Amino acid sequence: MIEAQQLTKRYGTTLAVDDLSFTVAAGQVTGFLGPNGSGKSTTMRMIVGLDAPSAGRITVAGRSYSRLRFPLHEVGALLDANAVHPGRSARNHLVWLADSNGIARQRVDVVLAMVGLTEVAHRRAGTFSLGMGQRLGIAVALLGDPQVLIFDEPINGLDPEGILWVRRLLRSLADEGRTVLVSSHLMSEMALTADHLIVIGRGRLLATGRVADFIEQTSGHHVRAATPEASTLTTLLREKGATVTADGTEGLSIKGMECRDVGILAAGAGLTLYELSAQRASLEDAYMELTHEHADFRATADSPLRSTR
Amino acid sequence: MSQTLAPQHVAASPTPTLPKVFAAAARAEWTKLRTVRSSMWALIFTTVSTVGLGVLLTSLEVSRWDHRTPAEATGFDPLLYSFAGINLAQLSIGVLGVLVMTSEYATGTIRLTFGATPQRRLLLAAKAATFSSVVGAVSLISCFSAFFICQALLAPKHAGVSISDPGVLRAVIGGAGHLVLIGAIAVAVGAALRRTAGAVAVLFAVLLVVPGLVTLLPSPWNNDITQYLPSSAGVAMSAVVRFPNLLTPAAGLLVLCGYTAAMLLVAAVALVRRDA
Repeated sequence: MIEAQQLTKRYGTTLAVDDLSFTVAAGQVTGFLGPNGSGKSTTMRMIVGLDAPSAGRITVAGRSYSRLRFPLHEVGALLDANAVHPGRSARNHLVWLADSNGIARQRVDVVLAMVGLTEVAHRRAGTFSLGMGQRLGIAVALLGDPQVLIFDEPINGLDPEGILWVRRLLRSLADEGRTVLVSSHLMSEMALTADHLIVIGRGRLLATGRVADFIEQTSGHHVRAATPEASTLTTLLREKGATVTADGTEGLSIKGMECRDVGILAAGAGLTLYELSAQRASLEDAYMELTHEHADFRATADSPLRSTR
Repeated sequence: MSQTLAPQHVAASPTPTLPKVFAAAARAEWTKLRTVRSSMWALIFTTVSTVGLGVLLTSLEVSRWDHRTPAEATGFDPLLYSFAGINLAQLSIGVLGVLVMTSEYATGTIRLTFGATPQRRLLLAAKAATFSSVVGAVSLISCFSAFFICQALLAPKHAGVSISDPGVLRAVIGGAGHLVLIGAIAVAVGAALRRTAGAVAVLFAVLLVVPGLVTLLPSPWNNDITQYLPSSAGVAMSAVVRFPNLLTPAAGLLVLCGYTAAMLLVAAVALVRRDA
């Protein structure tokens, strides 16, 4: 379990993390979501004791990371897959890490096999592709067989097969009862991978909860109907307690009633419907809406790139 | 996946003691050092330059043996040229010592290192101790080789000394000790400055430039200060004949140890205070 309490990190005048409190529970995949520059990586660096909080605290299993001895047995982290000496082989990279925490060398070969790097274990890490480097970084995290795992953007640079592999790995780690925190700036990826979400923007907590609830709340689905007798239908729907807003001259946007009930109601009144559909705002839209004001770097509202969406 | 992971999981072992953490960190540092080619090259260069320069200068001295001035002949230290290579070797040891820290900052592995060993002072100690031990082994081989080869060259002139002569064994070991302490200072400078270029520049300035500048000071300040500089203190450790303005070997050792301790202290404070 990872616990942040009023965590704050200030770099000069910039507040990178601002009074952040959250809990990451064991046995599930927790997605740590936020736009670029929102403080995800800073928070993760504070979890593993690389950066010291300016205020508040963050603990792993109730203890501050910097007090842990041989911490790789308890916490595994992939923070930066490029953090390798280019002249050292992948295997030796893992060997020194194993040595530093009294981990048996056989374990090195086990994790190399787990991430599929056995064949290239003796190649210099500097010759690795982005994807291979990412796999080596994941091997480092798994090395001490820890109960808590932290991955910063683990799918970066992976091909579709690799992405699928990471998703399954995260799932299986959580199913074994481990605590898994994985950051991403892609809501769609988190919707597929995570059970629980922590959404931050500009270092502040924006939302937290189950992914299913998040979808439910933020994307609040509605029913779209179109009929030549829009005003009559509106009256009928409102009598049944639905919220109705006009959407064009003949279109209606209905909340609080399912498609099926709208159709039965219209048929009962002899009204013609030429469109009836459940509308679900995409998760990505909901996320954009949530983080829009909190993104550090965003395109101007009417940039051509956005209008093509 | 779960089948591969689960059996590997070991029950949480009792909290390792700090000496155990230190030993593991030192072992990891040794693995890092031996698995990168550049460090092996630097160590080979150290040996070659220590022995090579000593042999070269001793040979030159032997060749002009009968043309020396009386002053040169009386002030001749049979070990001076044998250990001339140490001055060159301290540069390669210095660069390698700096790189022990700065290459980790350059590649980003410092975050893995701190992640694996959050006890940063202990880690610095492990790094310095491991590097110094390696330097010690290499330097002892180099200094003894330089000594025996150079004395063999001087033997025909009956000017050589034996390892059993007073102060000689101490001087050979002192020469190696000089390099060991320079190595530890270099690790500390690297840790304090984090950038290779800056750390190498500072180290070389202290070892090469400052002594030159101090000689420009008016007498007696120049001589008074010079003997307490790290480079002179180091040279004192391997001297047999007592030169004016040079500390005794024991004082030289003490002064250089003082510099090393002070620099390691600065580095420890910097490592603990700064974010990685």
